[in-house]
Amino acid sequence: MAVQESAIGQTLERVKIKERKQASLWADALYRLLRNRAAVMGGLIAMGLILVAIFAPWIAPRDYATQILTDNNRMPSWLLNLFPSSKGYVQISEGYLLGADYVGRDLFSRIIYGTRVSLSVAFMGPLIALLVGTVYGTISGFFSGRVDNLMMRFVDIMYAFPTLLLIILLMAVFRSTTQATVPGTLRYTLTSIDARVGGMFFIYIGIGITAWMGMARLARGQILSLREKEFIEAARTIGAGNVRIMVRHILPNILGPLIVAETLAIPTYISYEAFLSFIGLGVNPPTPSWGSMIADGAMSLRSYPNQAIFPALALALTMFAFNFLGDGLRDAFDPRLRGTGK
Amino acid sequence: MSNRKSKLVFGLVVLATITSVVLAGCGPTPVPTPTAGPTPTPKVITQVVTPTPAPITGKLFLNLGPGDVPTIDPALSTDTSSVQIVEETTVGLTRQHEETTATEPGIATEWKQSADGLKWTFKLRNDVTWVKYNTATGKVEQVLDKDKKPRVVTAKDFEYGVKRTLNPKTASDYAYVLNFFIKGGEAFNTADTKKLSEAELKKLEDAVGVKALDDFTIEFTTIEPTGFLPMVAGMWVAHAQPSWLIAEKGDRWTEAGFFQGYGPYTLKEWVHESSITIIANPFWPGTANIPKPKINEVTWYMLDDTPAMANYETGKQDAASVPLADIDRVKADPKLSKELKIAPILCTYYYGFNTKKKPMDNPKVRLAFSMAVDRVSLIKNVTKGDQEPAQWFSRPGLAGAPTLKDYPDLGVKFNAAKAKALLAEAGYPDGKGLPEITLMYNTHEGHKKIAEAIQQMWKTNLGVEVKVANQEWKVYLKTLQTDSPQIWRLGWCQDYPDANNFDKEVFRTDGHEYKATNWSNKKFDDLVDQAGRETDLKKRTELYAQAEKILVADDAAMIPIYWYTRVTLTKPYVKRTFSVLGGLEHIEKWEVAPH
Repeated sequence: MAVQESAIGQTLERVKIKERKQASLWADALYRLLRNRAAVMGGLIAMGLILVAIFAPWIAPRDYATQILTDNNRMPSWLLNLFPSSKGYVQISEGYLLGADYVGRDLFSRIIYGTRVSLSVAFMGPLIALLVGTVYGTISGFFSGRVDNLMMRFVDIMYAFPTLLLIILLMAVFRSTTQATVPGTLRYTLTSIDARVGGMFFIYIGIGITAWMGMARLARGQILSLREKEFIEAARTIGAGNVRIMVRHILPNILGPLIVAETLAIPTYISYEAFLSFIGLGVNPPTPSWGSMIADGAMSLRSYPNQAIFPALALALTMFAFNFLGDGLRDAFDPRLRGTGK
Repeated sequence: MSNRKSKLVFGLVVLATITSVVLAGCGPTPVPTPTAGPTPTPKVITQVVTPTPAPITGKLFLNLGPGDVPTIDPALSTDTSSVQIVEETTVGLTRQHEETTATEPGIATEWKQSADGLKWTFKLRNDVTWVKYNTATGKVEQVLDKDKKPRVVTAKDFEYGVKRTLNPKTASDYAYVLNFFIKGGEAFNTADTKKLSEAELKKLEDAVGVKALDDFTIEFTTIEPTGFLPMVAGMWVAHAQPSWLIAEKGDRWTEAGFFQGYGPYTLKEWVHESSITIIANPFWPGTANIPKPKINEVTWYMLDDTPAMANYETGKQDAASVPLADIDRVKADPKLSKELKIAPILCTYYYGFNTKKKPMDNPKVRLAFSMAVDRVSLIKNVTKGDQEPAQWFSRPGLAGAPTLKDYPDLGVKFNAAKAKALLAEAGYPDGKGLPEITLMYNTHEGHKKIAEAIQQMWKTNLGVEVKVANQEWKVYLKTLQTDSPQIWRLGWCQDYPDANNFDKEVFRTDGHEYKATNWSNKKFDDLVDQAGRETDLKKRTELYAQAEKILVADDAAMIPIYWYTRVTLTKPYVKRTFSVLGGLEHIEKWEVAPH
């Protein structure tokens, strides 16, 4: 009897599950994401940052590059109350919300504009990775066999490039050189592009060269597990071609994990840029980058702590936001991974 | 003192002593003669004494600025950080007093010029021995010769030193100083080593006008009667060098463990890119102006100003130059302000042009860039060390250098409107049509701040976007000599207190910075040559003023920015001297009280 009962119970439960409304993968993920408070916070902050970056000229009260030398190192009085040790030598000027830097540039405006630099790297990295890596990995995984073998060995080789060293090497070879002024050379072309994007070009290139491999491996792995599935077989039997299967049937199914992986990688890219700018290899002055602002501020940390603390706060906040958002997305797309860490 | 690496900061004090020395020196020689300071007392030293070293105690921690010391080889040194070490580990025939700039006895006790003015004879001490630091015992020992006797520093070592510096194979960047004066120097120094045979090279070497007459007498033969010679003969490029060691170890002889010197200190440890330590030489006899050292060990870190300041404030360093960012705080701080000293040093901070590269091949563009620099505002708001806005190159206070009092309108001053007009005249109204321009400086937080402020001045006053770049000191010096950027930063400190050392030696055709500027002007060359020969101080100054006008205004080959001061903090327990020579301290005169 007992055995029978339990058997019946099981059947009933199975029926219940079948009856439950089948939510789509995406709607389900969104539902789970919205229930994760930290992720929502992170998402909101990330969105806010994007808006700040886009509307920087309207938000920033001053130009980021304009120096008013006579206003060097000023602070508003509220800030001075926060750092009372600076009293006695700091000149007070209420016109600067977070103070002015060593050549009299508004710190607040520079932090606002710095968002652009950080976010452009934050999105450029994943973009290149998604575009190149996904296509590469999909092709490799889908065709398998010798193609797969060759393509993946190439990835293995590329994996040997350490991103930061590669970027520093690129900078050393192409930038910081006096030959930048001879038109017609490769170096000239590259450095003039670099100058036009505020010194970010080699960071993009370096990340572009090294960031897609992880993505390619992930995509390939996903596809290997998908390609033997029944729905692919079904598509094939009704005569769908390779490209159609890849684009219509496989890609949508692997995109979730890929996006999660890239969101989680965003803080890494941001830290690359901040690190490079901190050691003076990033953006060209006067383009503001949080990294270079922290480096400048660190020089005057003992006298004007505000100059290092606020850009550092901005950087920390951004990293947290994207980390929480990434974590939330991972949990949302694949609840089985919850709490396992990546 | 060659190229200045770090940025210290200043106010104008005309050194009266220099002027008086110059006037006193004008004897029968046809050249201005700022020679011997205090008359050397000839000492009768009959035998070499090997003193039993008395214990010297105490340690001192200082900072040399970021980046490794390029070299401590006297023949190869060109910058202030190298020369600082060289001047403590070896001593020249003569030595400059670091505060009065007077020429004093070094290893030579007396010197005299021949009747025709062409020959100078130096008498040397015979009680100075070569020493080395023994890493195994941790003690400084005398270097022994084949007969196990201490090696005494002889005139032959000096002759070898001068000839090694001049040897084209040594490739010394500072040999030109000797070329200007010493007979046969230029022929030997510029000889083509590939074409000439060893024998021919040897012949040229033997023709060089330096000769050890006996163990303790050396004779220099000059091209023309030269009053400067005692100063030049005391410079580091003419220091004694250990021929036996260099023959054995080659370029590596300057490394810790191998190094042999004979100064009041010798090299103990050199952690490249990190720190360098010298240790007192107990065998140093101690002379009237170079006493026995009182501090046993001196360590220089290779840090930027901010970490050095942090070290100072936490007690890990005994003196430090104040970073630009901290000057206001230090001045306001009741304790630190007492330890602060702002004093002039005989150096000029400037930007140079590579006059071969477009658009800097146009003197109007160069002058426009120079006039667009608001030096007063830069000093007031950025450097903050009471520096003096420079209108020309040769630092006032040097013999023969024009002074602001006599030449208030000489040179170049900030004038935004005129700068803009000049740039338009040159064909680039508001900077339109200009190619990409790069300003380069050696990596240092102070230089960066100054560069960024000037970059903005050019943007505001001329409408020109200039790119800034930086390189580490060692690499940077090479870049300047091989392929200098359109605008570059350097400082120049005196090697001897005369305008000749600035105008002629730096900017004359084939001068020290010739490869970086590619600038040559016949009239300028003639003026500085003439000024070098002129004996009347007033006429000399006038000649230098005319030369300066060509250098900074008519041709605008460089941008004088400011005349240096040093902004230094020293702990109260350190008794010290404040060198005006530009970073070159004579540590053997310092004392550290227990603390």
